[in-house]
Amino acid sequence: MANRFGFPDLGIGLGLRTVHYGHLLEHWPDVGWFEIISENYMQTAGRPLYFLDQIAERYPIVMHGVSMSIGSTDDVDMSYLADLKALRERTAALWVSDHLCWTGVAGRNTHDLLPMPYTEEALRHTAERVRRVQDFLGAPILLENPSSYVEFAGSCMTEWEFLARLTEMADCGLLLDVNNIYVSAFNHGFDPAAYLGGVPFDRVAQMHVAGHTNQGTHIVDTHIGPVIDPVWELAREAYGRAPGTSLLLEWDAEIPPFEDVHREALKATAFVGQREPESPAAHEPRGPAARP
Amino acid sequence: MSEPTDAASASSIAVRAGEQVGVPLEGGPAEAFVRERASATPNRHPAHAKASANVERSPRSSGHASDVRAPPLDVPLRSLQHWFARAVMHPGGVADGIEQHAAHGGLGVSLGDVERVILPSSRLAAIERLAIYGDAYRARLVECLADDYPALEYAMGDDAFEALCLRYIARHPSESPNLNSFGRHMAAFCRSEERPPLVFGSDLTALEWAMVEVLHAPSTEKLELARLATVAADRWAGARFAPSATVRVLEFAHPVNAYFQAFRTDRAPSVPAAAWSATAVFRDGATIWRMDLGRAMHALLMALLGGTPLGPALEALAAAGQLTEEEGTQVMVWFRDWVRHGFFARIETD
Repeated sequence: MANRFGFPDLGIGLGLRTVHYGHLLEHWPDVGWFEIISENYMQTAGRPLYFLDQIAERYPIVMHGVSMSIGSTDDVDMSYLADLKALRERTAALWVSDHLCWTGVAGRNTHDLLPMPYTEEALRHTAERVRRVQDFLGAPILLENPSSYVEFAGSCMTEWEFLARLTEMADCGLLLDVNNIYVSAFNHGFDPAAYLGGVPFDRVAQMHVAGHTNQGTHIVDTHIGPVIDPVWELAREAYGRAPGTSLLLEWDAEIPPFEDVHREALKATAFVGQREPESPAAHEPRGPAARP
Repeated sequence: MSEPTDAASASSIAVRAGEQVGVPLEGGPAEAFVRERASATPNRHPAHAKASANVERSPRSSGHASDVRAPPLDVPLRSLQHWFARAVMHPGGVADGIEQHAAHGGLGVSLGDVERVILPSSRLAAIERLAIYGDAYRARLVECLADDYPALEYAMGDDAFEALCLRYIARHPSESPNLNSFGRHMAAFCRSEERPPLVFGSDLTALEWAMVEVLHAPSTEKLELARLATVAADRWAGARFAPSATVRVLEFAHPVNAYFQAFRTDRAPSVPAAAWSATAVFRDGATIWRMDLGRAMHALLMALLGGTPLGPALEALAAAGQLTEEEGTQVMVWFRDWVRHGFFARIETD
């Protein structure tokens, strides 16, 4: 564990996906932990929770959201946060993360991770909202660097400078997605090494790796296919600066059988030296996860 | 567009109403919610979206940065987000969205000024970069609707379904942080938006949405068969039954459950002729079930789920001539099936 928040090193984890429910409930494989997309288990009282409850009983869970809309100029959605908090309590999730982005405005939701301008105004605005969210949840959150496809002409700092200042001002953590760094570096023409040079690694409590789709003119963060070697190399570099950070593979399109996704995630042992999962009583129901 | 075209070939099968009345059929959409919500960006360009097409109206689409660039506009965050969202969500594409926003007194950015807000890359013009978000917005929501309505997508064919979805997205943009209920207006939309209305499509949509509702409904207490044995004989006529939250009963003008079953089992159904049908959709544990109902079954079940006591419900059925002599002997069989499948949360005999 290297992060200043004391979030534990869970080893190598996987994103929990519906197509794998059957395999998981039949085989209970040795996986360090699962990350859930929070919204897939909110505003539902039925089948999604039927599966999640069983999985959360046996594996550590962390929550990764896509709708906090932390950078939006709409009011903070307290109803959403209440649902988020309830889900955290239900799953005993070890931490909650979302993205440095906004998803909508004027009451409309695009369900996309829309880019922020990196300005002083946006920095103050977002930091204030992160503090409000953390006060409500009673714990620090992690914000992920998103993939982006545009840059704003009015930005006055780099993304990594923005993130470093934001996490400092709001005293929040960072979910470092090295695939997103690779994607955005291609799309915007910056040096990934410069990005890593500006990351406050003592605030990095989790990392993501994923596949993507290169369209020639730009790269789309599709979470498809295996992770390419340059992304693993970036992960190796990042992990070297924050050893003991929980690492997770995201695979969201054309998802193969569980064993294939798991095998891809375990490449982390070779590429970044991340250890294999500690098998936290994977076959036995476990008690509520300890709060960080 | 009228009724869905038969997307299947000459090898498609015809389905009819009433073939499997009273038989529970397992399963909702195969691998429901395969395309669940995620942080990934869809790599799909909706065929009917104009976002990309309209990019050609941009003054410069070569993607090469200008040697001389106008100074950036100093735009407050809130104004910037309204402008960006308007462009991304506009049904006509990002260029139309920008023009319309400017025309309505929003951020005064013409198409020629877009680069004062968004920088071009070495490969894409500013508006082409913005269109990536416009395409992704529509693609994600189309995927969501395809997730909820796979049989409707099959019945209509990919292109017609996508066109329908894009009109739906324009009419019913999401106002929730969650997509679970995004498609809830589709049945009404099918009835109202088309001329002539999509009657079969609306029926099929209602069935598929019932499965989504049941999937997300809370598990409630379940009336057990053993409880029935404890009810005194003189209490039965006045017995009321509280409905389970995980059951829906629907009435259709087409045999949509038979169609859905044929679709789900890869038997390439053709769009059926109009014929009355009714279906109960319910969930037991994690499994969704569908059961077709005859007219008498439907009338009785609707009465019971609506709170009518058993005695008056049966009397009304008989008085209306809806219960044949043979069906009269089957009522208790139906009733026990409904109890066993969890249609009722509890019985009230007081």
